[in-house]
Amino acid sequence: MAVFEVFSQQDPGGPYVHAGSVVAPDITLAGQYARNSFSRREDAFRLWIVPREAIHEEADLDLLRPPGDHRYRLGRYYRANVEKRKRLKTRVAEAAAEGRLA
Amino acid sequence: MTAPALAPEMAVEEHTAAFRAHIEAGGQVEATDWLPDEYRRRLLRFIEMHANSEIMGALPERDWIAKAPSLKRKLGLTAKIQDEVGHAQLIYRVAEDLGKPREQMFADLIGGKSKFHNVFHYPTQSWGDVGAISWLVDGAAILSQSGLLRCSYAPYARIMKRICWEEAVHLKHGEDICLTLAGGTPLQRAMLQEAIDRWWEPLMMFHGPPTPPEKDGDLAWRIKAKPNEELRQEFLDRYVPQMREIGLSIPDPACRKDAEMGRWQYTEPDWAKLAQIGNGAGPASAQRLAFRRLSYDEGAWLRAALLGEAAPAA
Repeated sequence: MAVFEVFSQQDPGGPYVHAGSVVAPDITLAGQYARNSFSRREDAFRLWIVPREAIHEEADLDLLRPPGDHRYRLGRYYRANVEKRKRLKTRVAEAAAEGRLA
Repeated sequence: MTAPALAPEMAVEEHTAAFRAHIEAGGQVEATDWLPDEYRRRLLRFIEMHANSEIMGALPERDWIAKAPSLKRKLGLTAKIQDEVGHAQLIYRVAEDLGKPREQMFADLIGGKSKFHNVFHYPTQSWGDVGAISWLVDGAAILSQSGLLRCSYAPYARIMKRICWEEAVHLKHGEDICLTLAGGTPLQRAMLQEAIDRWWEPLMMFHGPPTPPEKDGDLAWRIKAKPNEELRQEFLDRYVPQMREIGLSIPDPACRKDAEMGRWQYTEPDWAKLAQIGNGAGPASAQRLAFRRLSYDEGAWLRAALLGEAAPAA
């Protein structure tokens, strides 16, 4: 007997999300068990059945969350754009009304 | 709704028709499904050019890492360039699954046999260009790429989620550069306006000629979602007002929205020129390909070492 991890795609084209695991003597039966456990209500479009031993987990936080400030990679780092644009827009509109360059 | 399974008693034509009906009804397919030859060929050509464009797209901005005006800008720019190379990795992987080895795709790219997007065939002349590219080229790209989120080929659609999210950060980074220049000294404002003047033509060509939707096979197979002209109209709708309100002018006197038709009018870009640029006759095409070739050759020893092979003789 071996452990098989089950990944379920709930909408066509959607991501395969880990649903759980089953124990079975082979991959064909693992597929049957996975269907019985995770798609009794037709809630999966497709199932991926993967032998657990084939999965390598990467959980080294020095690699995944290296130290340092990486906020500049996120959209919210540029939140001030909205205010900047508003100020500039007012300035340009005022200058245009007075017939000069901003 | 899953893709029609390949039944041995069905003729290829019959099966292709069932596949086409599945796609036209909004269905998606996976890498392990049977795909008709024409669909696979179109998909590969489209995705390979996208991957080529991401990796070539890192180069125009790369020139400015060492010349970025502050540490903040250098970090933002480096992160963006790293993302573009990362996008190429994701997209080449999807293309490889369609049957063309990555080495072959790279050989075709650096050998000038396959294409990359027209906007990456131009030089970047000032920091204003860096802002204009990151705001407006990425803005134009987000419009076409968000259509790919509904691509009939599901593995491509799924990676586009991550790519679109990252492109949205690039857009804000570029918008910040442009807002800063537009609100700066007369010299800074002129630098930005000159960049816009240079990039307007490539931007108007960005989404390609106005091919009638019924003649666009990529639309028929639902590889892409929107006709070229519709994307250009969306681009003008979104960005012309945003450019004007910060004091930038559009370097095309014919550019205006026709109130009655609700459509943008503009000077027709030179589509023959676009075709020439796409074929490698752009102002920076040769230089960019030479750099990519150099970088590929210089990395050969590392790729060999990772496979446990002896490094090729220098």
